[in-house]
Amino acid sequence: MTLQQPALPATAVATRPARRRDRARLFQEIGMLAPAVALLTIFLAVPFLLSFWTAMTNQPLVPRPTPVRFIGLTNFLRIFKDDLFWTSLWNVSRFTFWILPVQCGLAFATALLLHQKLPLRNFFRGLFFLPAITSMVVVCVIWGTLFQYPTGPFNQVIGFLSGGRIQPIDWLGDPNWAMFSIVLLSAWQAYGFQMIVYLAGLQGIPDELYDAARIDGANAFQRFWHVTMPGLRPTHVFVLVITTIQAFKLYTQVAILTQGGPRSSTETVVHYMVRAGFEEQKLGYASAVSVILFLIVLVIALVQRQLLRRFDV
Amino acid sequence: MSDLAIPTLQAEAQRERSAIGSLRLIQTACILVIALVIVSPLFMLLIASLKDDRFQILADMGSFRAFWVSNPTLSNFAEVSNLSGELAFGRYLLNSLFILGCTVGAGLIVNSMAGFVLAWGTLRGRALVLSLVIALYVIPQESIIMPLVIMVSRAGMTDTFAVQIVPWVASPLYIFLFYQFFAQLPKELFEAAEMDGASVFRIYRSIFLPLSLPALATVSILMGIESWNQYLWPILVTQTDYARPIAVAIATFFGQDSIYWDRAMAASVLMMIPILALYLAFQRWFVSSFVGSAVKG
Repeated sequence: MTLQQPALPATAVATRPARRRDRARLFQEIGMLAPAVALLTIFLAVPFLLSFWTAMTNQPLVPRPTPVRFIGLTNFLRIFKDDLFWTSLWNVSRFTFWILPVQCGLAFATALLLHQKLPLRNFFRGLFFLPAITSMVVVCVIWGTLFQYPTGPFNQVIGFLSGGRIQPIDWLGDPNWAMFSIVLLSAWQAYGFQMIVYLAGLQGIPDELYDAARIDGANAFQRFWHVTMPGLRPTHVFVLVITTIQAFKLYTQVAILTQGGPRSSTETVVHYMVRAGFEEQKLGYASAVSVILFLIVLVIALVQRQLLRRFDV
Repeated sequence: MSDLAIPTLQAEAQRERSAIGSLRLIQTACILVIALVIVSPLFMLLIASLKDDRFQILADMGSFRAFWVSNPTLSNFAEVSNLSGELAFGRYLLNSLFILGCTVGAGLIVNSMAGFVLAWGTLRGRALVLSLVIALYVIPQESIIMPLVIMVSRAGMTDTFAVQIVPWVASPLYIFLFYQFFAQLPKELFEAAEMDGASVFRIYRSIFLPLSLPALATVSILMGIESWNQYLWPILVTQTDYARPIAVAIATFFGQDSIYWDRAMAASVLMMIPILALYLAFQRWFVSSFVGSAVKG
């Protein structure tokens, strides 16, 4: 991450009125910074630190007469002994494995196409971004109908194309298919942002590089492989990392469409956490899950930093 | 050498130009096909919401009738846009709009002021504040939500609008976006205004803010989408329908056993309209500025 600090203005000679003005300026600056700092402290830093504490207690959701006890790492040990937690972690990894090629591939392909000088380019850019502004709840309503079993649109199309040879698929009700179905609708909803990031990355590659490659006799494919791809390396890292982090936070579509089922095949870490906290009312336990989630995200973010540093950007 | 090179380059350029022509054609065809696949679910949603026979909707969806409605009607919308009662999606829509308006409005002010001071202030320790803000960016909403629920319920804030607005006004990402935008504006702007005796707030308000339309548009769109699509937080902190946002209302309605597809579709279309309007209003600045900063952030 490169942060450019603007140069500080040279301090004026400290005469008395100037000093008074300096102090007024200082107060103004503090006043302008204070709302953000206060809000971030109360609603981000404090709950974050609190989650580490809550994770080591038996805090229930609804206050009970018995005092909250400190129980050390017991919650973590219980989590690690719970098969359902490992299932949820495995499911999220499976989801990540599928969503990375599908979503990033779609984003990359559409960005490459929309980077060309084609008619109506801006119209198509807006059009391709539409799913990204569609709320996940609406996406679930749409895809819930598409996935209907046995007579939903997808099944009818598949039946028609295969001449009835392929049996209808229970997209959301079959443990073998449910997570893949979630992958499809998630990729459709979220690829738009990555597409825009890729478009920005493509714009960042100077035209001179392409001209130079052309003079050296490189054909279109060689230019793509030796100019475009190296130029997009930081973009690729960013997109892959963001997609992975999003994947580990998978929740809404699963909560609405499958509730973690069938047979826990779409249970995710966040869904597991919310269930522990609000159905079983074990807030301490749920906080321990949230701490684990944070550590996972932190590791992914640190890997990103290392990779970006290696690419020297 | 150069005599030879020039004609070869010209021939090459000509060959390439005709190759580009056919490439263009393939690319345009690809875009049209992808656009069709991408947009058809949304188009189906719109068409289905205009049909009045709820039993026919699902049957239609497997065929080309999914893209055609012979006698469009707005009756579904009339049914779901009540302001009270069972299908009060009109009310939930207004709730969501109010939450979005307050969050984005307050967020633009709070985050841009902080970004401005971090970029141009003289306050000691602002480099430290900046690195803390960036560090906070790593924390996902999902991992602070458990303690936050206890905090707001102790403060008696459940089932209010405030609980859906105040916690999400300040955000490390948007402070950083504003910081980056302000920091790349020329130093002379600040110095000239300072010479004229303008205060820091005055410089921010009258000079830097009017110049930051791209940043304001980008943050408005991102914050707007984020606020509009909140789902986990509102289901945890709203029990009654007083402050219920439309996302939660649709999900609840959709989750019930007997599904009224026509109504669910109409409510979904209702939910898309405001965010689409916001996007179309600011799109011009959004695509060009979101960009470089995001990759390095």
